[in-house]
Amino acid sequence: MAVSTKAPKARQLSDLARQEERTAWWLLFPSLLLLFLIGIYPLAQVFYLSTTNKRFASSQPTEFIGFANYRDLLSMTVRELPVQLDEAGQPVIEDGKKQYESWVRVLPREPLRYRAAFEFGFFGKRYVIGAVNADFIKSVWDTIVFTVVAVALETLIGLIIALALSRKFFGRSVMRTAMLVPWAIITVVSSLIWEWMFKSNRSGFFNALFDRLGWGDGNTVFLVNPALQMPSIIAIDVWKTAPFMALLLLAGLATIPRELYEAAEVDGANKIRKFFSITLPLLLPTMAVALVFRTLDSLRVFDLFQVVFGERRYSMATFAQFTLVSNKDMGLSAAASVIIFIILFIFAIIYMRSLKVDA
Amino acid sequence: MNKQTRKIIGEIFFYILIAIIAIYLIFPFYWALISALKTEGELIAAPATFFPKEITFRNFQAVFTNTAFLRGILNSFIVAGSTTLFSLMVGAFAGYALGKLRFRGRTPTLYTILAMTMFPAVAILSGLFQVIKAIQDIAWLNVPTLVLLILIYMVFTLPFTIWVLTSFFRGLPDSLLQAAQVDGATFLQTFWYILLPLTAPALVTTGLLAFIGAWNEYLFALTFTLQEPGSRTVPVAISQLGGRFAMQEPTGELMAAALIITVPLITLVLIFQNRIVDGLTAGAVKG
Repeated sequence: MAVSTKAPKARQLSDLARQEERTAWWLLFPSLLLLFLIGIYPLAQVFYLSTTNKRFASSQPTEFIGFANYRDLLSMTVRELPVQLDEAGQPVIEDGKKQYESWVRVLPREPLRYRAAFEFGFFGKRYVIGAVNADFIKSVWDTIVFTVVAVALETLIGLIIALALSRKFFGRSVMRTAMLVPWAIITVVSSLIWEWMFKSNRSGFFNALFDRLGWGDGNTVFLVNPALQMPSIIAIDVWKTAPFMALLLLAGLATIPRELYEAAEVDGANKIRKFFSITLPLLLPTMAVALVFRTLDSLRVFDLFQVVFGERRYSMATFAQFTLVSNKDMGLSAAASVIIFIILFIFAIIYMRSLKVDA
Repeated sequence: MNKQTRKIIGEIFFYILIAIIAIYLIFPFYWALISALKTEGELIAAPATFFPKEITFRNFQAVFTNTAFLRGILNSFIVAGSTTLFSLMVGAFAGYALGKLRFRGRTPTLYTILAMTMFPAVAILSGLFQVIKAIQDIAWLNVPTLVLLILIYMVFTLPFTIWVLTSFFRGLPDSLLQAAQVDGATFLQTFWYILLPLTAPALVTTGLLAFIGAWNEYLFALTFTLQEPGSRTVPVAISQLGGRFAMQEPTGELMAAALIITVPLITLVLIFQNRIVDGLTAGAVKG
């Protein structure tokens, strides 16, 4: 008797479970279909395209070319630049510096033509790094430098803002609102405003300010001079994202129990001691997650570079977009996309490992 | 120096720091505002003045009569609004399934969606280009570019929406579900009459973040409206504003336009600031 009453009940339960499972998949179906169509399938297409020479709006037939796109993007070489000699065989010296031959003389031309990506001095000698696609190599380097410096500064400034705002004071809620504004504003718009502030004569804010302070000649070309391009664009990015960082850190600060500080005060700890022994260690998990978000975000930076530099200097993302839209080279753009994808993946793994962030 | 004086000096430094932070955050907007209010002559004069000598509203007038810009605002409202609405609809179903129902394949699905929230948009650009081209080639379908943009934007709003709603649904007590089951409600009835009303706050938060994300999007908008100026959203329209007057950079108008499209966002932020902060920090802080 006991067995016969149990059996139908069990079947009923599994019927219910099966019905639940069916409902779940029906509910998921629209989302999965959409994400497949606009996410997973295009990603697979990108991997496929990266091994072809497909161009759009071209009559050239599409062929499978293996890893040639990757070879074109990643081929690099280092060569020493010879010292420039005059007719007497003596080194040419201008402004007290030895002059070097142009990279055109030393970089290989066959079978692939190399162009100079960077030049650098090392132990009194001068070297050139040549690349088949110098623009891409430069874009990777620039994006990584941009990411490391910008994220470090954002974290520092974000922390200062968060610590200042963690205290109660008159006007605190207004400040918290003001912090959301740089985050919410369209990146294109904030980039345009900053571009105008960086104007290359004294009608721009920074040139007018520096002129008044007696720095520079009032005609500093912040966005054109290669040495000033990166600091300028990093300044724009830090302004836009440090408040966001501060908000996350502020939320993290709020979770630290007050009793810990009280206990530390009883033990006679000063402010600095309290910061390094309580605040910082307990804030670290929040900071780690914020760092991951911000790093991945910075590595794919597009809007800022596109608006401020256009085609003068690329980030990885603007390079891929430009190669696709203006050069109409789908295959090469796809290969660049895959490399970006892999670089982001590597950064994500390094972070997860070193900061022990568990998903 | 006694304790009292030290405290006062500390206070003064603290308020100076707060003032510096406030100026840092607000200054670019101040600069945009005075630039938009300056006359053309004063705008290009060096050195720049920190307060306009003569205030003019000509730049604002010019922007409000610029059809390309107004069209951009309309397009942006259509695209961002529809994207948000569809993401919430489709995402709420998925979030309910992932948060409250037991079925095989739940964990892998959840992880795939989490991975997609970190997806770099540029990684799928050329692939999407192919998909969009294929859809556009179906002549009888004649899909407008704006609809395609809405479809594409779901690639970044949907995974995020599903992820947030899943954790919200999971937080609702199981007893609610069981009570409904005892009363003989189907899964869909439970979802519709019991769980959805309870998730309204989460829907508002994720909806806001999705809207802001779609409103600000530039990469896809720029790439896919290249041939079609009529479908440009605000970020693209404003970035192309300069190109329309070849002779001179219309800086004053640009700044006026920048301020005009910042107003709706600031309004949203002012009304919903607590919700936005909750949504932003939901993933980052383990309470």
